[in-house]
Amino acid sequence: MANYAHPEVLVSTDWVKDNLDQPGIKLVEIDVDTKAYDAGHIPGAVGFNWQTQLQDQVRRDIIGKEAFEKLVGGSGLSPKDIVILYGDNNNWFAAYGFWLFKIYGHKDVRLMNGGRVKWLNEKDKPLTTDPPKIAPTQYKVTETHLELRAMLPEVMDISKTAKANLVDVRSPDEFSGKVIAPPGMTETAQRGGHIPGAKSVPWSTAVQQDGSFKSADELQAIYFQQKGVDRKKPTVAYCRIGERSSHTWFVLSYLLGLDNVKNYDGSWTEYGNVVAAPIEKG
Amino acid sequence: MNHQTRVYQDVFEMLPSEENPSPMVRINKMNPSPEFELYAKLEWLNPFGSVKDRAAWAMLRELEEKGEVGNGRGLVEPTSGNTGISLAAMAKARGYHMRAVVPNKIPLEKKVLLKIAGAELDVVNDALCPAPGLGDGSINIAKSHAKAQAKKYAMPNQYENEQNVLAHVRTTGPEIWRQTEGKVTHLFVSLGTCGTVSGTSRFLKGKNPDIKVVAVQPTEGHDVPGLRNVSQLGVSRLFDSSLVDDILEVEFKLAYTRALELCQGEGLLAGPSSGLIYEGAREIILRDKKGFGVMIFPDNIFKYTSNMMKHIPGLATGNEA
Repeated sequence: MANYAHPEVLVSTDWVKDNLDQPGIKLVEIDVDTKAYDAGHIPGAVGFNWQTQLQDQVRRDIIGKEAFEKLVGGSGLSPKDIVILYGDNNNWFAAYGFWLFKIYGHKDVRLMNGGRVKWLNEKDKPLTTDPPKIAPTQYKVTETHLELRAMLPEVMDISKTAKANLVDVRSPDEFSGKVIAPPGMTETAQRGGHIPGAKSVPWSTAVQQDGSFKSADELQAIYFQQKGVDRKKPTVAYCRIGERSSHTWFVLSYLLGLDNVKNYDGSWTEYGNVVAAPIEKG
Repeated sequence: MNHQTRVYQDVFEMLPSEENPSPMVRINKMNPSPEFELYAKLEWLNPFGSVKDRAAWAMLRELEEKGEVGNGRGLVEPTSGNTGISLAAMAKARGYHMRAVVPNKIPLEKKVLLKIAGAELDVVNDALCPAPGLGDGSINIAKSHAKAQAKKYAMPNQYENEQNVLAHVRTTGPEIWRQTEGKVTHLFVSLGTCGTVSGTSRFLKGKNPDIKVVAVQPTEGHDVPGLRNVSQLGVSRLFDSSLVDDILEVEFKLAYTRALELCQGEGLLAGPSSGLIYEGAREIILRDKKGFGVMIFPDNIFKYTSNMMKHIPGLATGNEA
């Protein structure tokens, strides 16, 4: 964890193992497909389903304050807890959860580096199918940080004025417009391509083979030297549905320490459907 | 057991071996060079219907010998179908339960066959976006079951199990050497777990280092169950590039059209992976002109009628009164 701007928000799998059952430390597994959680999770961890529990089920939006309070309070979390998030798909959805916990002002939330796959592949790390023991709390959100979220008008403005970095974290084929979405995805858009002015930095460039983050030096070289992200400007990250960009938002905000980074969770499934929005291809 | 009369005491005696090899059939009309002998080794004539009988049996026998199955402990395995079908049928016949974790995109026929063979089915959405070196959803879900419920499940793990390679060192390789009387010059295979290519190549190159081993892979983003593009090979620890001379990439739709041609031209009811392998062989024959080639045809067409309808215009229409 050395040299990261905010190393305190990242914990290792070993740290989690050493702190299982510690009062005040709560584990949450966030998956797009909770089959993974059901098949086996870290002892004591509750499971959140990204699609059904972190998204408003009527309009396209993050869950509101009350729904968040109900979800996390009902899962036995309290505002003073250290909340450790981990999940499937390289922590994409856990990073989205991290972003959501920060929007709703939770003080101490951390990511387990490498996510569930790293834990799964380490021989000394236990998994269980036992449900966690939950004592529900009356969780109250006392502050919200919507400044962590970019909405479409701001993104359109940035594209026109270049006053902030736009970082497209999708695959090169999605960026170029060769494909609109990765194969098999149901959420899609009318058009392929990218937001004019965006830089292509696929999310996966931030991680090592085992799914854990690259070192601060490597990340700085990638984002600042190779890809030309201007650290003096604000930055907005986007992908297709806002989960991979949460991962990059975490990297830029907490590992590299940029102080004005937003996640555009509308991402390509919003922008690529907007009538008359300018699009670049290639 | 009598391989002459083909009368057996149980189905396991029918499993292939040097004494009881899967058949090899000459390709006649569809061979582009008269100076290149080309044979297809028909793995669907194995008792459980595919080349995977070999790896499944070797992995299961090892677990039995080590005492890792039985007394309520069965199997969990990630599979695109064939390994699961072989393993489930074998396991059930020997008294073990089996859970198969399969990608959603495999053909419906395979899912139903897995259930018929006795597997409990766990269908996972496997196609989000390839993550570097992490394996895909079905592999990790199966590993999770095996880790969280170790008393209930042993996981053979065909992607990492050396028995998957050794099965072919012990059977497929010696069979081909004997069936061709040592004349084989080219081996044509596809890439999945890579047990077939690594094991067969290891044996054959041990006999004759000049034998060319050609691996045929579908184009990226393909829809050929059981196969992997080289970009997806990170999940298979069994791939050994030193045992492969050429890797051909073939447009995946040709897997389906060539399979149809093999059915209608040679009378070989070969599945799409066989179609892909045939196309690779055809291209190499046009390049090398002379030789003696053996294609390992993994399974037949019966499990792929829904995929064939998707990729061959005309098959999906005219089926109703």
